[in-house]
Amino acid sequence: MSSFKKDKKEEEDGSCLFTGIEKTTVLQECRTFNETPVNPKKCIRIMTSILYLLNQGEQLSSTEATEAFFAMTKLFQSQDVILRRMVYLGIKELSGVADDVIIVTSSLTKDMTGKEDLYRAAAIRALCSITDATMLQAIERYMKQAIVDRNSAVSSAALVSSLHMTKMANDVVKRYVNEAQEAINSDNIMVQYHALGVLYHIRKTDKLAVNKLVAKLTKSSLRSPYAACMLIRMAAKLLEEEENGSDLPFFDFIESCLRHKSEVVIYEAAHAIVNLKCTTNSELAHAISCLQSFCNSPKATLRFAAVRTLNQVAISHLAAVKLCNMDLENLITDSNRSIATLAITTLLKTGSESSVDRLMKQIATFVSEISDEFKVVVVQAIRALSLKFPRKHSVLMTFLSMMLRDEGGLEYKASIADTIITIIEDNPDAKEIGLAHLCEFIEDCEHTSLAVRILHLLGKEGPRTKQPSKYIRFIYNRVILENPTVRAAAISAMAQFGATCPDLLENILVLLARCQMDSDDEVRDRATYYSNILSYLDPSLYNSYIIESPQVSIPSLERSLKEYCDGCTDEPFDLKSVPIAVVPTNEEVTRAQQKSEGMIMSTGPTKKVKVSREENYAQKLTLIPGIAQAGSLFRSSEVVELTESETEYVVRCIKHTFSRCIVLQFDCLNTLSDQLLENVRVQLEPSEGYKILKEIPCEKLPYNETGTTYIVLQYPENFFASVATFGAVLKFIVKDCDPDTGLPDTDEGYDDEYILEDLEINLGDQIQRVSKVNWQASWEELSENCVEMEETYSLASMSTLEEAVKNIIQFLGLQPAERSDKIPEGKTTHTLLLAGIFRGGADILVRAKLALADGVTMQLTVRSTHPDVAELVTASVG
Amino acid sequence: MGLFQKLALFLGIRKKEVNVLVIGLNNSGKSTVINHFKNDEDKASDIVPTVGFSIERFQNQNLAFTAFDMSGHGKYRDLWEHYYKDCHGIIFVVDSSDRLRLVVVKDELDILLQHPDVCNRKIPVLFFANKMDCKDALSSVKIAAGLGMDKIMDKPWHISASNALTGEGLNEGVEWLTQQIREYIVNNKF
Ligand SMILES: Nc1nc2c(ncn2[C@@H]2O[C@H](COP(=O)(O)OP(=O)(O)OP(=O)(O)O)[C@@H](O)[C@H]2O)c(=O)[nH]1
Ligand SMILES: [Mg+2]
Repeated sequence: MSSFKKDKKEEEDGSCLFTGIEKTTVLQECRTFNETPVNPKKCIRIMTSILYLLNQGEQLSSTEATEAFFAMTKLFQSQDVILRRMVYLGIKELSGVADDVIIVTSSLTKDMTGKEDLYRAAAIRALCSITDATMLQAIERYMKQAIVDRNSAVSSAALVSSLHMTKMANDVVKRYVNEAQEAINSDNIMVQYHALGVLYHIRKTDKLAVNKLVAKLTKSSLRSPYAACMLIRMAAKLLEEEENGSDLPFFDFIESCLRHKSEVVIYEAAHAIVNLKCTTNSELAHAISCLQSFCNSPKATLRFAAVRTLNQVAISHLAAVKLCNMDLENLITDSNRSIATLAITTLLKTGSESSVDRLMKQIATFVSEISDEFKVVVVQAIRALSLKFPRKHSVLMTFLSMMLRDEGGLEYKASIADTIITIIEDNPDAKEIGLAHLCEFIEDCEHTSLAVRILHLLGKEGPRTKQPSKYIRFIYNRVILENPTVRAAAISAMAQFGATCPDLLENILVLLARCQMDSDDEVRDRATYYSNILSYLDPSLYNSYIIESPQVSIPSLERSLKEYCDGCTDEPFDLKSVPIAVVPTNEEVTRAQQKSEGMIMSTGPTKKVKVSREENYAQKLTLIPGIAQAGSLFRSSEVVELTESETEYVVRCIKHTFSRCIVLQFDCLNTLSDQLLENVRVQLEPSEGYKILKEIPCEKLPYNETGTTYIVLQYPENFFASVATFGAVLKFIVKDCDPDTGLPDTDEGYDDEYILEDLEINLGDQIQRVSKVNWQASWEELSENCVEMEETYSLASMSTLEEAVKNIIQFLGLQPAERSDKIPEGKTTHTLLLAGIFRGGADILVRAKLALADGVTMQLTVRSTHPDVAELVTASVG
Repeated sequence: MGLFQKLALFLGIRKKEVNVLVIGLNNSGKSTVINHFKNDEDKASDIVPTVGFSIERFQNQNLAFTAFDMSGHGKYRDLWEHYYKDCHGIIFVVDSSDRLRLVVVKDELDILLQHPDVCNRKIPVLFFANKMDCKDALSSVKIAAGLGMDKIMDKPWHISASNALTGEGLNEGVEWLTQQIREYIVNNKF
């Protein structure tokens, strides 16, 4: 949602000059470029058409682009300034598609160092767009000169281009640091800003260096307001990263900027302060009052910026934002609808339950006039409201369903559906109404992806309502009326009802039988599959093949199947060999949500298939010799720090568990610029039962680089010995070296070591979380052929149920099911349901009954398909 | 307008800009040769290996030359052909002290002469046996023999021994080329 709705009129007018232009004709016209002498006027017109087409999103094939590109190179003959600048633009546009673009390098370097000032800046930008990493060296000298050029346009162009080039050759650009340093003293505001950008980028991985840079610049006063804004951001970032609260000089700097003469800088400073995590009330007050005064500014941009920022922090700084309520009330009628929307939604967030109705009415008056982006803001406010005031759910739900019926894009509709789903999940009272709204919505929903999601939800929630049968009609209607994707989803949803509601089974079977005549393969396949399973009348089959979705990770399944097909074996494919999918933890989910809730931030195109962390590691680990025999990667732990931060050497460990062994990956960073480390390895004192299978040292570890060394350990045969603690020491050979070149002074090094913190292998490392849709059914299924262990504990150190739940989940590494990790307010007893798999494949289900009374008492019941595993779980809790 | 100018205009010569393509292996002295012909104020003080190509202009006997100074580096030689089509003359620079790569020069020359955009045109080719000042430089006769130039029947060609640093031999060569191009233009009614 990056672009604002375009003014329709503007769109119609803007294109008339070039309407009807066609790619093939324009490409043919490019032949004109080959004529001598060049006709500048004609060529400029053709160039404009090409650029127009490219900007309209027209795609050129690589041959077409190359042909046009080479024709364009002939235009360098002409001395016409405008034509030449068009050529630069053309080069930039085509540089990504055409082959051999490097051919214009000399022509561009000539222009960038030549006398014609109008050429120089643009030539630099074009040059950097065609240069690849191998050529960078050749233009280094020119770039350095350009950065310190007297002409500010040239200097800016060189700085910005350098910044772009860091993507492909960070190291080369690092060498421009002296020139950038000189440019930061420029009198020109843009040059100063761009120079700061480059300097920061060169250093950004080195926190200490950034610290120094900021410290130095905050003392000098930057002339450029843009540079000042950037410096504020850098300082704020450093403050944020600082573990405990505020680093005073940086905070003082930001605060001093609240008195800057430029409004941009004042806003940036206020924005930074209100977004800092730890601020005191008095620190906040000044920043908020700046924003407050902007709310009354005659400039719409300032009002917008201020109210948008207040909106973002309304929840976290409720009291402070409330002070602006008067000013926000004035903005409700602002002629700029974006400002009005933000003002109202802010008030909704800060207001009391009684003001909800009035404000909702106010929004209703103009909701049809605002663009989708702002409608999404409204929806988000409603979501927050409904969580805060559960009793208001019917007003809000009605409003949402009204919005659902309006026109709107996918993103907007999806955010409404999401909100309804959240409300349903959070508030059982709202469930039936919400489902009814959604049913009505899919009757007329043009977005396939949304319809599929809602059908899935109906399949999950519908069977557990009081009257499941009423949803069947809505779902079956989809089978009759929709496209194959939606039909397939509808079939899966119906099957859920069949599996869960015995009295509906017969009807469902009839409906599914009809679907087996469908014209689409997928739909037919699903109908056949479900009919078949349902006809067995066996609840445990339903449970594993209909209610619960497969737990394997899909990308891994794809890879395993491909490997299986490539290899020639007669053995059947073993689904157990595929790693199971990783369930994101609650924190990960909330983190992702928080990111997207900062509104109107373009999130860019959504990435396609997200490869999980495990997948990434699995690929890397295959490089370790002999690891293939260990089978597939079961689980990778979180990163464990084995050193204090800011020590000479930083060592982090990631534990990768396989079914019988564990690979310890130690990522080591050398922060000493006068040392080169060699043969870096970690020496472990394994506790009883563990056996070291292999050690892979890191051969070389230069300054500021991260190297990796591995240890492969075999798990003890006895499960009970697998939870253990090891002493660890980092061992290496030191060679002293010259900090500037990084070259060692002598060939002789000496042995040295560095004590690390103890390394633990615990229960959680050996368990993978599994999410269960119907935990109860699985629990009953396990009651027959498995071991059950029960134990009671008193968790004296816990003072609330929430705390206990959080700790248990974290300690056991299991996945909470049926939302049992949420504790209804005011309760003193609670049952937590958990599920997971132990390495090797044993299922684990855990039921923890908690009671609050002077600490927390817990009765823990563990069921597992492996007797030792159940015992291990109960034993390790003690 | 004087009679001569009228005549020149009629022949399409005076306003005529001509394109020449300057090719040859890397380090043979192409850019140095061109630099010699440029006006003093346009002259480059130090010459670096060309990457891709560079367009330079100079005057000779009332004819405005636009020279495509190509890079001779191995990986860019394939790109020469993009510029064959619309050039009026070719300057082929050979480093006469580089005996070892004379065979490479011959290969490149053969490829040039067989190229569809070149083989059917009577386009003049000027060879500079450059770096004649070097101690072990081959004579222009030896180079002509070494490159099998006697077999070029369908195109006017000429070889001059030259020293691009001092300019020796360059003017003689270019005067020949200018003459040829004039004729070429008149005959082809450009
Ligand atoms: N001794 C001597 N050196 C020459 C002569 N001509 C050129 N050079 C030198 O040869 C080197 C290469 O000259 P360039 O003009 O860059 O060669 P080029 O053919 O343009 O090379 P590329 O652009 O890489 O294809 C330079 O160091 C020149 O100074 C000459 O006649 N005699
Ligand atoms: Mg050159």
